[in-house]
Amino acid sequence: MQKFIQDAKTGNIDLVDHTHKAIEQAEKINKEYRYITAWADAISRAEELQKLAKTGKATGKLFGVLVSAKDNLCVKGVETTASSAILKGYKPLFNATSVQKCIDEGAIILAKTVQDEFGFGGFSINTGIGIEKPLNPHDKKRTCGGSSGGAAGLTQKANFPHLALAESTGGSIADPASFCGITGLTPTYGRVSRYGLIDYANSLDKIGTMAKNVEDAALLLDIISGKDDHDSTSQETHGPTLVDTASAIHGLRIGIIPETIGEGLDNGVRKAVTTALYKLEQNGARKIELSLPVSMKYGLATYYTLAMSEASTNLAKYCGMRYGASDQLSAPYNEYFTRVRTANFGEEAKRRILLGTFTRMAGYRDAFYKKAAQIRTKIIQEYAEAFNKVDVIITPTMPVVAPTFDELKKLNPLQNYLMDVLTVSPNLAGIPHISIPCGTSNGMPVGLMITGPHFAEHKIIQVAKAYGA
Amino acid sequence: MAHKFTTDAIIGLEVHVQLNTKTKLFCSCPTNVAEPNTAICPTCLGHPGSKPVLNSKALEFATKLSLALGCTIAPTAVFSRKTYFYPDLVKNYQITQYEVPLGSHGIIILDIGKLIRIERVHLEEDPGALIHESGATLIDYNRSGIPLCEIVTHPDMHSPAEAREFMKKLLNILGYLGLFDQNTCVIKADANVSIREKNYERVEIKNITGFKEIERALTYEIERQKQQDVRRETRGWNAEKGTTYTLRLKETEEDYGYIVEPDLPLFEIDPNWIRAIKATIPELAEARAARWVSDWKIDETDAKIIAANIDVAELFETIAKKIDPVFSSRWVRREILRLLNDEKKELRETQFRAQELIELFKLLIDKKITDRIGQRIIEQLAKKQFSPAAYVKEQNLVMVADENTLEKICKTIIEQNKKAVQDYKNGEEKSLMFLIGQVMKQTKGTAAPNVVKELLKSLLA
Repeated sequence: MQKFIQDAKTGNIDLVDHTHKAIEQAEKINKEYRYITAWADAISRAEELQKLAKTGKATGKLFGVLVSAKDNLCVKGVETTASSAILKGYKPLFNATSVQKCIDEGAIILAKTVQDEFGFGGFSINTGIGIEKPLNPHDKKRTCGGSSGGAAGLTQKANFPHLALAESTGGSIADPASFCGITGLTPTYGRVSRYGLIDYANSLDKIGTMAKNVEDAALLLDIISGKDDHDSTSQETHGPTLVDTASAIHGLRIGIIPETIGEGLDNGVRKAVTTALYKLEQNGARKIELSLPVSMKYGLATYYTLAMSEASTNLAKYCGMRYGASDQLSAPYNEYFTRVRTANFGEEAKRRILLGTFTRMAGYRDAFYKKAAQIRTKIIQEYAEAFNKVDVIITPTMPVVAPTFDELKKLNPLQNYLMDVLTVSPNLAGIPHISIPCGTSNGMPVGLMITGPHFAEHKIIQVAKAYGA
Repeated sequence: MAHKFTTDAIIGLEVHVQLNTKTKLFCSCPTNVAEPNTAICPTCLGHPGSKPVLNSKALEFATKLSLALGCTIAPTAVFSRKTYFYPDLVKNYQITQYEVPLGSHGIIILDIGKLIRIERVHLEEDPGALIHESGATLIDYNRSGIPLCEIVTHPDMHSPAEAREFMKKLLNILGYLGLFDQNTCVIKADANVSIREKNYERVEIKNITGFKEIERALTYEIERQKQQDVRRETRGWNAEKGTTYTLRLKETEEDYGYIVEPDLPLFEIDPNWIRAIKATIPELAEARAARWVSDWKIDETDAKIIAANIDVAELFETIAKKIDPVFSSRWVRREILRLLNDEKKELRETQFRAQELIELFKLLIDKKITDRIGQRIIEQLAKKQFSPAAYVKEQNLVMVADENTLEKICKTIIEQNKKAVQDYKNGEEKSLMFLIGQVMKQTKGTAAPNVVKELLKSLLA
């Protein structure tokens, strides 16, 4: 990646020609695997950058690199729908801060990548009405994972220098990274500005990165990090840049949660993860058994309660009045809103609106929404205490390898939600985690998830590098 | 059903005040009046990906108002989403304060000594404005995101007049704090009203603008409730017709599904910041008037009227510190306020300054000029600044009290107005006033009226 950027800056590479070829390849991948929902004008941008290179004015840490953005990230003038029919045709008036920061570093925005509608799912099978589901790059009968499925698939398949902006609410970066066999880096909540992110659950949404290796994922995260006046929940980051983090493992305390590698886990996944742990121990890490009872028992329920409560308010604005899908306007307004919403929201979006509305209604609010908020605080405390004893926590990312579409059809919604059991707790606590490939099971990639305390991205990166990702 | 209430009518108010910040509550769009749908951005239009950022000035203004109303300030400002679907509400939820209001436990005291408790003062965003025009409904989103302060009272008012007085006092405080511009900002109230005859079944009247309308609407509604069956409902107020009408029945309490606004952090409120804001609150009208009455022995009505407007009050205080406060208060109330009232002007729209007025009042107190000349000079001082003393000298307007001079003039006037003289002698008192007027006219208003009166009386005796 660094060599490519250097060559692009000095004009050793014909950036326009390179971009043409990359688009051609991406189009071919897309035809086969359906990762892309909309294309940005990459060629114009490449021409613009080429001129800079020719006049010796090329600058930026991502000069000439093609960056894809998950469909829920606003890209000015490029159709942005969070893969929902209700936003069909919507072209944002501004760039998301994370997108703008890439552009400021010389990146070329390539395309928008497909996802579960508004992020509602872990398998990219809940794409909006009329939007095709992406296929796993290793086996087209299987899911990419989700919700950042398109981003993960494209990252795996692209043979040109490419980085992906993805987003996680309850595991939407780690999950598809694991299923597609790439690196997915989810930062601390607040590290990256959410300005320009189409909200799923604002208190949980985190923009992160995907790449073929840890170093590139770290490079992109460095660029998009930092306090933004447009997002009051964003924070300034301190400390060294992540891309320079060196591999280190000797003497590090690795927390293991026994039940995450116990029953219910796919045997192949267990084998890959225990092998990885063994390798880290061989290199000088110390394994410490941890118990996180609150997170393990209540994480899923807490996550879904909070996420759906917030989601049901976020989706209220989509009513066919000001942007996106619309219909013949007619009074009374509530019937019109209902008509547009009924026709354009997918099944899972409707389910989450109903459940999320229920959990915040008078009479249920205390038992669900407020209780969940209290448990989240407990889970944050539980992790904080755990990180007094260990430096990082390692678990499998997903309990299984990418399921086939047929297998997924047999799952009811609850079994479907259970697949998130390992990813939701770090997401609830807002702590950074990285999923890296650690071998295969039945030929499908297995993901290893390394989790660290708030704003300790460098720790999870040094362990990931020590593993050799 | 047993009630704790015993009075004929129970009234509680929810008042919405537009705060006069320069920019909106959660974005940097301007708040001043503009062409429809021009003061808008992705945030106040609720576009996907936009995020609210709190305008700290609005928080400061709302805190100032809360403090002036005697409220306790919450240690943190927390915002919530209130979800309901309506075409003027861009996100279909409103960012407001729910569980913890910014201010609570405030008070306004009516003149008869009755306490009206203020339950809460909180900040929220205004929705856009629906405009019904020639059969169509148009929406202006310029208003979307304008900061509003909501003031909720306990049901402590018992008559429309009390509600009016409450609103008037509130407006006065807002004016004193400089938070509210009467020309551009809007104050609206929702009133809850119930009467004993109907077992205090509660009716809410929405969107009443201004304190006079509050009294009208409540007077109408109480009369209506006496004559009709009362249902629990929300009614609208038609100011043109002077009637209320059903908007919707309240069979169940509305459920807004409040959640904490996750795009905004909790704002810790520093006690030092509160102290600093408190220090900027001026002495309010009632305290000022009371002080004038006790320290300067000013007529209570004059004091209240002068204190009602902070600019006039400040002007008066400056003058009264230099010269006779009682004299000054009469002239400020009778001449300056009358003039402002007649011309429908704010003090700052005139040229009045303490410096010239002090000079003028001194001339009056020292009997250097007549009241009539004084009035004339005040009218001119409203338009431009000049030295009244120099002007009097220049224009030869010094009061003439010399009996010899005035006697000559009086005699001439008697000569020239034989009919009036005859009428006076026949017992018509007002003919004397006419004759005095003629002398004043002859002397361009400089004749001392009491001297003229005595002279005429004796000449005609």
